[in-house]
Amino acid sequence: MNITFNKRDPLYVQVIRYFKEQIATGAFEPGEEIPSRRELASKLKINPNTAQRAYKEMEEEGLIYTEGNNPSKVTKDIEKIASVRQEMIMEAVDAFVHAIRPINVSLDEVVGLIEAKLNEEQPEQEGRK
Amino acid sequence: MIEVREITKRFGRKEVLKGVSFTAEKGEITCLIGVNGVGKTTIMNAIMNLTPIQSGEILIDGQKINKRSYEKIMFIPDAITMLPQMTIQQAMQFMDDFYESWNEKRAKELLDFFKLEEGNKISNLSKGNTAKINLLLGLALDVDYLLMDEPFSGIDIFSREQIADVFTSHLVEDRGVIITTHEISDIEHLIDKAVILNDGTVVKSFYTEEMREKEGKSVIDVLREVHLQ
Amino acid sequence: MINFLKLLRFELDRFFKLYVVLIVVTIVSQLAGLVIISKLYMRRAREEIVVNQNSMESFLETYGQFSLANLTHSLWFVGPIALCIVSLLIYVFFIWYRDWFGKNTFIYRLLMLPTERLNVYLAKAMTIFTMVLGLVSLQIVLIYLEMNLVRLLVPRDFRLDLPIQGVIHSFDYFYILIPNSFIGFLISYGTGLMALFVLFTAILIERSYRLKGVFIGGLYVTASFLVFISPLLLSEIFLPRFFYPTEMILLEVFAGLIVMAGAIWLGHYLLNKKIRV
Repeated sequence: MNITFNKRDPLYVQVIRYFKEQIATGAFEPGEEIPSRRELASKLKINPNTAQRAYKEMEEEGLIYTEGNNPSKVTKDIEKIASVRQEMIMEAVDAFVHAIRPINVSLDEVVGLIEAKLNEEQPEQEGRK
Repeated sequence: MIEVREITKRFGRKEVLKGVSFTAEKGEITCLIGVNGVGKTTIMNAIMNLTPIQSGEILIDGQKINKRSYEKIMFIPDAITMLPQMTIQQAMQFMDDFYESWNEKRAKELLDFFKLEEGNKISNLSKGNTAKINLLLGLALDVDYLLMDEPFSGIDIFSREQIADVFTSHLVEDRGVIITTHEISDIEHLIDKAVILNDGTVVKSFYTEEMREKEGKSVIDVLREVHLQ
Repeated sequence: MINFLKLLRFELDRFFKLYVVLIVVTIVSQLAGLVIISKLYMRRAREEIVVNQNSMESFLETYGQFSLANLTHSLWFVGPIALCIVSLLIYVFFIWYRDWFGKNTFIYRLLMLPTERLNVYLAKAMTIFTMVLGLVSLQIVLIYLEMNLVRLLVPRDFRLDLPIQGVIHSFDYFYILIPNSFIGFLISYGTGLMALFVLFTAILIERSYRLKGVFIGGLYVTASFLVFISPLLLSEIFLPRFFYPTEMILLEVFAGLIVMAGAIWLGHYLLNKKIRV
């Protein structure tokens, strides 16, 4: 587990983001056990309070759940997972559109470029995460 | 909670602290940041009654410091607090003798973690290992508050990483920690609260995550701002 | 109380090696010295009587009989005592200053112990006091040994056997260290203890105020001394021959106790409110 943190965005937000990515790609499976707050803090080299905050928010958002004293687990809610996936996609699309808009390129050209890029980078993507 | 209220301190004619106030909560890591000589060590010494203050007051959980406080709060200064001719084992024995809050189990755990040998004499240890022993002597106490003066300075990078690990572990959890540093970049992701000192007072005091959330600034950004004024 | 004892033991341990050296040096020097000077005396006797054909009476008239006073007046005896006194005097200062200087910043630890800081002060004082008592006891035992040893070394005709008091009085300063009576003991050692506390407090004044503290400390010591001798001064200057000796002693004891209490109180105050690492 490895996150490079930037120091300008709240750390707990970056942790949540990382979890969302893992959930969206299926790297974290539904119902899978996640590390305890302490373990997470230790692994990521962050303040335990940050880990605590992240877990609290994720629990509130329904991304993870905790049964009694058992370790927390990733949600089994398929809809939730799908919506997270959607969220990630929309974020990427938002960012992309925002970046590409000033350049004034046609939709066809854009789609073609995206398709070519996706085909080219496919094998790499597995390794990157 | 440790409350420092408007403390002033003079060394001879020089006024070093001109009314410093801040708080450090239990369960949080508070960092005093400032250039060398601004008075961070003096503040720590003052909290532990190792140097007198001219005015102001310092409260630990609502009380002024007394002999029983030393079972609740421990200071890990820049210098080793044991006799150089003692072995690590003897130093630990000393702590056990005098402090009820000495946790032998945790001491052994830390010894392992830092990869140190009980039989070594303190005077024979490298600078990095001396710093680790110093830390051990403080961390192995079941105290509510830990004060650490420049825990990372002058230490090789590997020892630094080991020491940083301490902050993310159960060894520090639930305790109130105050650390000082003049070099924040390595550790800003570890601290909860930053207290910036300049010219004898607290220039700015804030929670790091709040600063990131509300203003999108890192601690270093804020430092720059403060010094531009 | 327990912490005081722990600290006392700790401080005694720290001085132990040096203490053993002082003891060994004293024993060796005094016993070897006795052997050597008695042999020298007997050799001189043989020279005068056998070689020079003088009579024993004339020898004894010129050189006198050999007694332990010969020893107590020699460097073999005085040397180690001077060494012990100087060492202990140095240690009175060293016992504090070593915890601040050098590679040693042990003063942090001493001041952060969960105990009354005064216990640190008292433990250091008791350490010195105990060591003094120890060395004096050693000296008394040595005198007994020497009294017996001299009988083996010098034949009776040449010997003057002093009683123990005689031996003690042959050394000028012993009447202070090995007093005749219990009251004498209390006065001697009580005054010594008072002086120790005053010195300790003066050291703490310096440690609290640094350079300024040297002057203030000096003033403090002078003031303490004046308070201590105030009954004598008052009596001499204002009320000559007014007090009986017993009353004078009582007044002095009172003055001494005041100075001692003052030293301890001030030491306590400095340790808690003014001391700096």
